[in-house]
Amino acid sequence: MAEVLFYLLAAGAVVFGVGVVAARMPIFSVLNLLGTFFCVAGVYLLTGFQFLAVTQLLVYAGAIMVLFLFVIMLLNLHDESLGGTLMSLTSLPPRTLALASATAGVFVLTLIFASGVGPPPGSAVLAAARIDEGLDQLVPLAEVLFTRYALPFEAASLLLLATMVGVIMLAKRDRPRAKGDTSASWPWTPAVDDGAEPVQQAETAPALEPGRSRKTHEGTAARPPADKPGERAGSVQ
Amino acid sequence: MNVPTEHLLVLSAFLFGLGILGFLLRRNVIIVLASIELMLNSANLVLLAGSRHWAGVEGTGFLEGPILVLFVILVAAAEAAIGLALIIALFRLKQSVILGSSQSYEVAADSTSPSVPPPSPTRP
Amino acid sequence: MTESASYLWWIVFVPLLGSVLCGALHLRSLTQRRAGATREVGAFAPWVACGAMALAFALSVLAFLRLAGSDDVLALESSSWAWLDAGSFELQLSMVVDRLSSVMALVVTGVGLLIHVYSAGYMRGDPGYAKYFAFLNLFVFAMLLLVLSSNLMGLFIGWEGVGLCSYLLIGFWYEKGWPAEAGQKAFVVNRIGDACFLLGSFILLAVFGTLDLSDVGAAVPTVLADQSAWITAGALLLFGGACGKSAQFPLFTWLPDAMAGPTPVSALIHAATMVTAGVYLIVRLNPLFAASATALAVIGVIGALTALIGASSALLQNDIKKVLAYSTVSQLGYMFLALSSGAWIAAIFHLTTHAFFKALLFLGSGSVIHGMHEEQDMRKMGGLRKHMPTTFLTFLVGAAALSGLPPFSGYWSKDEILAHTFGHGGLWSILWIVGVVSAAMTAFYTWRMVALTFFGKERFDVAHVHPHESPASMTIPLIVLAVLAAGGGLLGLPHVFHVPHVLANWLEPVVAPGAQLLFDEHAAHLSGPVEWSLLAFGALVALYFAHRGFHTYKAGAAADAAYAERSPAMASFLAGAWKIDEAYTARIVEPMGRLARFTYDQVDQRGIDGVVNGTGRVTLGLAARVRLWADGDVKHYALWVGAGAAALTVLLLVA
Repeated sequence: MAEVLFYLLAAGAVVFGVGVVAARMPIFSVLNLLGTFFCVAGVYLLTGFQFLAVTQLLVYAGAIMVLFLFVIMLLNLHDESLGGTLMSLTSLPPRTLALASATAGVFVLTLIFASGVGPPPGSAVLAAARIDEGLDQLVPLAEVLFTRYALPFEAASLLLLATMVGVIMLAKRDRPRAKGDTSASWPWTPAVDDGAEPVQQAETAPALEPGRSRKTHEGTAARPPADKPGERAGSVQ
Repeated sequence: MNVPTEHLLVLSAFLFGLGILGFLLRRNVIIVLASIELMLNSANLVLLAGSRHWAGVEGTGFLEGPILVLFVILVAAAEAAIGLALIIALFRLKQSVILGSSQSYEVAADSTSPSVPPPSPTRP
Repeated sequence: MTESASYLWWIVFVPLLGSVLCGALHLRSLTQRRAGATREVGAFAPWVACGAMALAFALSVLAFLRLAGSDDVLALESSSWAWLDAGSFELQLSMVVDRLSSVMALVVTGVGLLIHVYSAGYMRGDPGYAKYFAFLNLFVFAMLLLVLSSNLMGLFIGWEGVGLCSYLLIGFWYEKGWPAEAGQKAFVVNRIGDACFLLGSFILLAVFGTLDLSDVGAAVPTVLADQSAWITAGALLLFGGACGKSAQFPLFTWLPDAMAGPTPVSALIHAATMVTAGVYLIVRLNPLFAASATALAVIGVIGALTALIGASSALLQNDIKKVLAYSTVSQLGYMFLALSSGAWIAAIFHLTTHAFFKALLFLGSGSVIHGMHEEQDMRKMGGLRKHMPTTFLTFLVGAAALSGLPPFSGYWSKDEILAHTFGHGGLWSILWIVGVVSAAMTAFYTWRMVALTFFGKERFDVAHVHPHESPASMTIPLIVLAVLAAGGGLLGLPHVFHVPHVLANWLEPVVAPGAQLLFDEHAAHLSGPVEWSLLAFGALVALYFAHRGFHTYKAGAAADAAYAERSPAMASFLAGAWKIDEAYTARIVEPMGRLARFTYDQVDQRGIDGVVNGTGRVTLGLAARVRLWADGDVKHYALWVGAGAAALTVLLLVA
């Protein structure tokens, strides 16, 4: 019975995975990813890793997916030209496809035919008597985690801190600046600071002009004052 | 549950392959991130499959697997956060999340339509 | 016994010093000329050069007198300088003056001095005045090194040095084009001989363990028994070297072309000294050659053949210097013929007389050319005896000596050679006939030359060409040489006259080893009546053909045209020196040129340059392709990262 369920969940995971990769719009992709997460969580459960199953759902499905959805909605990618691209295999140059397939194939085959040597001696061990109750029981796990792996644990917390700081800095919106204000702004420096025009231009100019976006990295002095996406952040909001 | 380890590995292999394909072939950066998450999941599956495989060998289980998976999930979360923040910043800059439409080097002044990446002289 | 004399090095180095000084004068002249000065220091060059020559001559006389004054001092030796010390092989350079080399040194420095004086007049006004004397002195230095060296390697240094100076002096007027080619031809042909020389000296070193000339000579009898093949090989190879330097068949083609150089150069180098180096070498190593009958036979055949080729080719030449050039080739053939029959002394005798009269003839022709404003074609001369009396008279003496008219020096030396050849028997009887035929031709072409140049109608443009006598600096050496050419026979009167043969007595110790080896096998001693008949026969032949030659051409060169009509093939054959040069050009030079062209075009340009340029091109091409990968497209980068990771995975799995 459990086996049947496993195979169902496995098939589901693969189907959802295909959906992730082949979806037309990012929102669909993300939702398919959610489905994959659920299936994989189910597989974890079936193979005896209850804690991890729950963790998976909490973190992946509960936090990361929410993040994805937030961003998708934040960016307002409803317009297909903005965010959606249909993945059609024929639109790809054959060499790219071949190389990507070969790359994927190597990993797939490696995984399928892999054989391992087992954990090194001295690994943390779960006492034999309690295996039936699950392979990732909390108390032994915590024991090992906070003693042997205390350093990675603390480092991970640091990592999360850094992530938080980084995210805030990255996503911070630049405040509109007064004319003549030459103080440095982050992450980019506008060419000419003219407060009046951009707001006007932002309304009339089309949403995307690749020529301009391409020029962004060039000397900013050369750009016409209208080309200041930072100023147009307001339109994105 | 008596599913042979090989089948778990096959499952993870498929997921990983899909993730790779999506990562390499899709142009939308959000979908690329999602593919990365898919790959990470498949890696977790491998770890757990291995941990499970050797459980009971000497009548014991191994805890490195779950611990490592825990860390992978953690790092995946952090990476997703950062990636999404980058996407926001990128979108602010370029008004698009299409990878490949924004070139670092300006090749020609004229431009083509936004949804089609500019032609590269050769494809690898 | 051998006495040591430190001043011997000075004999050699004084001309070198003179050369360096003249070179400095020349360079200074060039700067002066560029600065626009009217007088140049180069004008002092002849004083420096002739002074050096006079000093060298004086020292040579000094050495000679020392040897002449004592019966048991057979050689003067200088201090030696260790050049090479490689384990068991040691090379010491030192100068040795023995009876043979003293004669050579006297000839070189004496005749050289006269020619230097002559050149001062002949070359005046030439922009390379000082350079000329620098080269000339350098040549004398090398020649003296050659004749005074005690071992084969020192000799070889001089050997190469004279070859170099010959090249420099033949091509002295290289701006004209053909002298440069002539110089190159001389050098290349000489080089072939030099290769043989080196191989021969290697064999000598292997067989005898030393290159010291007297040691080698002394060691020949002991080695002869079991190494006769090697001795023959060494002798033949050294003779090959001599062929190159002394213009014997087949390496003589450079000598007629060498007439492109100034006439005094032809006199000094290509008549009196350099070309005699080969003869000197063989006489110096006479035991080696005497020990090998094969080598002697080869030398004899080639010598006689060369004499014939030279004499017959001179019959139809129009350029006065070319006549003398082929004549030199022919006379050198005689010297080798003499060597082949063991008549070492006769060869040296003829060498000496030939130096006198050939230098005289060359300088005389130079005087004619100078007076005719660089005209060398005899068909455009004629009747010059009225305009250039001194030149004419001295030239007559020289011509008489060359054609072998008694009592001039050439008669006695040539007769001695032919007598020895006659007496040697066997193969040499045939060679004697060849020699007599060549002597007949010699008389004929010599007096043809005299007639065309000095007698008959004046065939030049009397209005524009005014031949004049040459200045004293040129005529005095002519007179001196004329005296020597006339009286030189006193050095070697035949023994039937019952007077001592001066040269034979003088050189007897030097040639004794070779004579001993030779006359163990061939005892040749002519009886009185035979000798007298040969003397008379030689004189008659010379007189008759001289007469024929003179009278045929007294009126002009019409006889040449008539002969050409009668037998055109023979005429062109003879005029073209038996077409040997053409054969070389066609069979050797042209294929080499084609090979060089091929090597240049295919191997060098296409092959090697192709590889080098191709490497660059391939690199650039690859780079142009690879460069396109860095297109700024992140997706491509990601693809390659993934592919690389996959490749690494495979590598880790497989390896």
